[in-house]
Amino acid sequence: MGVRSAFAVMAGKLTAFTLRILGKGATSLPGVVMLKLCPNILGDLAKDIKVICVTGTNGKTTTCHAIADMLTANGYTCLSNEAGANMINGVVSCFMNAASLTGKVKRDYAVLECDEASLKHITKSFGGLDVTVVVTNIFRDQLDRYGEVLTTLELIKKGLAFIPQVKLVLNADCSLTSSLAESMPHKDVRFFGVNCAFDHNSSSGISDAVYCIKCKSKYKYHSRTFGHLGDFYCENCGYRRQAPSVAAQQIKAFNTGSADITLLLDGKQYEAQITLPGAYNIYNGLAAAAVGKVAGLDDSRIIAALKKLTTPFGRMEHIALHDKGVELILVKNPAGFNEVISFLTAHCTGEDDILFGLNDNSADGTDVSWIWDVEFEKLCGRIDEVKTENQRFFFTGRRGEDLEVRLKYAGFDTNRFVLEKDYRTLIQKLRKTGRHTYMVLSYTVMLGFRDKLGEVVELKKYAR
Amino acid sequence: MDTIRICHLYNDILNLYGDTGNVVSMKKRLEWRGFGAEVTELSFGKFDTNTKFDIIFIGGGQDFEQGILTEDLFKYKADWLTGQIENDTTVLAICGGYQMLGNYYITDKGENIEFLGAVDFYTKASSPRMIGNIVYRTELNGGHNVAAFENHSGKTYLGKGVKPLGKVVKGFGNNGEDGTEGARYRNVFATYGHGPLLPKNPAFCDSILLSALKTHGVNDLSELDDRIENAALKNALDLYG
Repeated sequence: MGVRSAFAVMAGKLTAFTLRILGKGATSLPGVVMLKLCPNILGDLAKDIKVICVTGTNGKTTTCHAIADMLTANGYTCLSNEAGANMINGVVSCFMNAASLTGKVKRDYAVLECDEASLKHITKSFGGLDVTVVVTNIFRDQLDRYGEVLTTLELIKKGLAFIPQVKLVLNADCSLTSSLAESMPHKDVRFFGVNCAFDHNSSSGISDAVYCIKCKSKYKYHSRTFGHLGDFYCENCGYRRQAPSVAAQQIKAFNTGSADITLLLDGKQYEAQITLPGAYNIYNGLAAAAVGKVAGLDDSRIIAALKKLTTPFGRMEHIALHDKGVELILVKNPAGFNEVISFLTAHCTGEDDILFGLNDNSADGTDVSWIWDVEFEKLCGRIDEVKTENQRFFFTGRRGEDLEVRLKYAGFDTNRFVLEKDYRTLIQKLRKTGRHTYMVLSYTVMLGFRDKLGEVVELKKYAR
Repeated sequence: MDTIRICHLYNDILNLYGDTGNVVSMKKRLEWRGFGAEVTELSFGKFDTNTKFDIIFIGGGQDFEQGILTEDLFKYKADWLTGQIENDTTVLAICGGYQMLGNYYITDKGENIEFLGAVDFYTKASSPRMIGNIVYRTELNGGHNVAAFENHSGKTYLGKGVKPLGKVVKGFGNNGEDGTEGARYRNVFATYGHGPLLPKNPAFCDSILLSALKTHGVNDLSELDDRIENAALKNALDLYG
């Protein structure tokens, strides 16, 4: 630990302290200050810690949370950037929070959610360290920012190029993600995946990878889960899915808050439960299990941890607004939203209302056209079967009207629509109904709306 | 009443920006008025070129697939599509689909990629990408400006016989230079506006439908309750107009 980095930590802590006195959130500015004072601060602070970076389009936060849950349950200490502060400044700040005033970080692991475009800025400092990188999947996401899905893949490759020693944990079912294993010189690769098809409630409408990344022939599938994920192969060039060493061999039941699966760990089969809601979360649980194997945990301990996973901020977070309560669900892109639709199609009843919220700030994506890639038609079919007299669909956010149009064209009854852009008024309305409500919100709606919820109910605190 | 046949060309590739929403919008607005609407998804490979369509829709896609797409276009679809355009079939083409109808595309390396040549214009790669909300004026949207979103790196320059679809109010449009947006030729409506375009510009959607319904002897459309669509349009224009 150099004097320079210790000084930087102190300056960072002072900045954070000042911001807190001023009543401002402090996830990124301390990082800016520290990087200015000591560009390699991250490498200095992480040098005695095992680092796990999680990147990819969907499931980063949940996967990080699951990994941290698993490591903590096994007696390891972790630091992590929980609030989704997943760019370089946020990562530096979370190391600062864990550091003593003299700049020492006493943790076994750092579990870091890394934005795909920021991965390279983060891994730049990790050369020579013990680093594992998990890539959850690659889907179309914020096209106004990334351009297209291959750009995302290239960004991740750039991040990996700084850390040739990396242990890779890749989604075998994503043809884009798994191509990272071949295009990079890495030898240490572990795959996770699902060895069967998901049920009919999962979506496979829009695919972000129809044609082979190597030869541009059309992929075929032995089985599919959702989106372009599945047991793919290319007849023309032979590029195909790698058999995963950590896998869901069979899915026995999808419950409201969990899934029962037959889990494969390095050739051994176990009955297991992943206590996260939604089919898509099976992948996040499997990714955590794969990291558990990398960390050398016993199979029994991995399985025990999978049974005690908890949902992170805004991911099916239950809030006691009234007796029935409400669930906050974050949506960021079509693939994630479609899995939420699958969940709602399986579980929404006539006694549930739904609030949809959409902003077009840069963190949400300034282009809102992606809501047309979401299969609201499927949910509409379910609602037609279960609807009740009192059921309402609420809309909010800067582009709430766009969502109203989308649902109208999906076949929803517009007489049940309620548009309310003022969060406080909306919360009063929702409180008055007393009905259980799923709240499906884009990123900055989630942040703003949750803050206002915090004025009327006790919320779990997350670092900001 | 008649059934209107809509062809969604290269639906599995050119669907990057919620473009399917345009097809949904056309279909629903026909059905709400009692017309039939039949959507045919036409992707790679051979097909029966005698099939008649009233509307051909082409959306936008990624650069990655462009190579295989132009290969298929010239192998199976070029003569047919040019013929359809010359026979006054209604065509709505957006972004990548728009560029494809032109004469050629000049890449950033200066290479010329031959395109369909059905409409007289060309496109030239440029940097940085033109990304953001776009508002443009056109007589096709019932007196309202059009609100949409654009995301393209190509700059398009129209030939002499081709009129722009509209005039840029906010945003870049064809090339960010001459204030033009999109192209009009026979019954071709081409634009960089996605978002998708038609759902929250309902009068524009009806203009496209009327263009196709003429051959069915239909010259006006009954009113629909467009309060939700118009509220979304007004909101977007208030934010970005």
